[in-house]
Amino acid sequence: MTFIQTILNILLLPGLAFTLIASIWLAGVDRVLVARMQRRVGPSLLQPLYDVLKCLGKETIIPRKANEKVFLLAPVVGLASVLVTAMFLPVGGVSALKVNSDMVVILYLLTLASVTLIVGASASGSPFAGVGLSREMVAMISYELPLVLVMLTVGRVCGKGLATFSLSTVTAYQAANGPLLLNPVLWPAAIAMLFVIPCEVGQHPFDIDEAETEICEGVLAEYSGRPLAQFKMMHNVKMYVMSGLFCAMFLNISTGFILADILIYCVACTLVTFVSMSVPHAVTARFRVEQVFKFYWTVVTGCAALSLILVWIGL
Amino acid sequence: MLFNLDKKITEAIDDAASKSLWLYHINAGSCNGCDIEIVAALTPRYDAERLGCKLTGSPRQADIVLVSGPVTLQSRDRLIRTLAQVPEPYCLVTVGSCPCSGNVFKGSYAICGPVDKYRHVDVSVAGCTPKPEAIMAGIAQAAAILKEKRRGMHE
Repeated sequence: MTFIQTILNILLLPGLAFTLIASIWLAGVDRVLVARMQRRVGPSLLQPLYDVLKCLGKETIIPRKANEKVFLLAPVVGLASVLVTAMFLPVGGVSALKVNSDMVVILYLLTLASVTLIVGASASGSPFAGVGLSREMVAMISYELPLVLVMLTVGRVCGKGLATFSLSTVTAYQAANGPLLLNPVLWPAAIAMLFVIPCEVGQHPFDIDEAETEICEGVLAEYSGRPLAQFKMMHNVKMYVMSGLFCAMFLNISTGFILADILIYCVACTLVTFVSMSVPHAVTARFRVEQVFKFYWTVVTGCAALSLILVWIGL
Repeated sequence: MLFNLDKKITEAIDDAASKSLWLYHINAGSCNGCDIEIVAALTPRYDAERLGCKLTGSPRQADIVLVSGPVTLQSRDRLIRTLAQVPEPYCLVTVGSCPCSGNVFKGSYAICGPVDKYRHVDVSVAGCTPKPEAIMAGIAQAAAILKEKRRGMHE
């Protein structure tokens, strides 16, 4: 029975099917919201799905200079790693996979997804991809530190004296004491996390690695057809994973009814997407590389460190 | 197969070909008039994203290639090479009178147009310069052609 339940969990509810639907929904809502904020009609809600399907139906061109195996395998590994990341997110208190330190696992899997972008770009043998991958590395260095600091802060609050890296402990703590967002000491950390989300996903103001007007789509410059569809889907799933991670760490509200919990979780994810991705997309232009780096290592890391210090001295 | 699932997926992909249009713009020696109008069609005022349009920077990701300009001697080889990099199925849309007739530049020693000497042109938007509405109408026509081309790929 438990075995069947685990399989169902992985394939259906907190797992694969839910992840795919939620990521298409979040990506579609993001595009429609940006359109509405710019006072236009915008695409349909299913636009990300159409984009992915269309890419699947196109010819896959492998450049002569590319390393064919790495070029084709990188997007598969990337998509798989973000899908596995989504398995660790608790939806209504249930997660498909559970390990003792799942926050560390999530951290590494998210890094792996970015690394596959870098590997795929370097295997494509295009100078534009080369510029893009160096920028992606800068973006990674920028957001990794504040992300780790935020995780340490949350872990320290929920760990009772020790830092915990288990998401289930974090959600259990919030179920007992209310969402962590109500704790003023953690507000700087929450703000830092809201800034980490768009950079990790590669959303507009921080999409320095895919700047289409400067470096011809950067890391994706040589990708077409099926591998491009996988990278686009990876981007959508990453959106869901990052907003889901924020909800799990700061906004876990539990009522006791699992269906209500799942509904609240979906609404919270959409809200986080709106605040952290759609609004910056609609109101700002793209940052330059060194601006991103400076901003993350001063303001965002500062916010995260402030919370960490406050929590560590026991406020 | 189960409930004709493979057929349904193929149909969905054909359908998506006309709903997700990524534009790539080649300037083949244009005076910049048509280029401004193309950009105008993508702005929030005309909102080409309603049709699923998105400007892309790489020919590898293009579904609709917009060509403006009378194809000068300098740009001819670049045009041919860039078009060869676009994956099938794609539509070639010429914007303005220059790519389809040469316009006022016709007869010049530096002009190698029109574009259909080099590749079949799917939609030709005339005008010097065409209005953004006309460019949007051209893109919408190209969307219908794209769907047919995608169907032709597996039939």
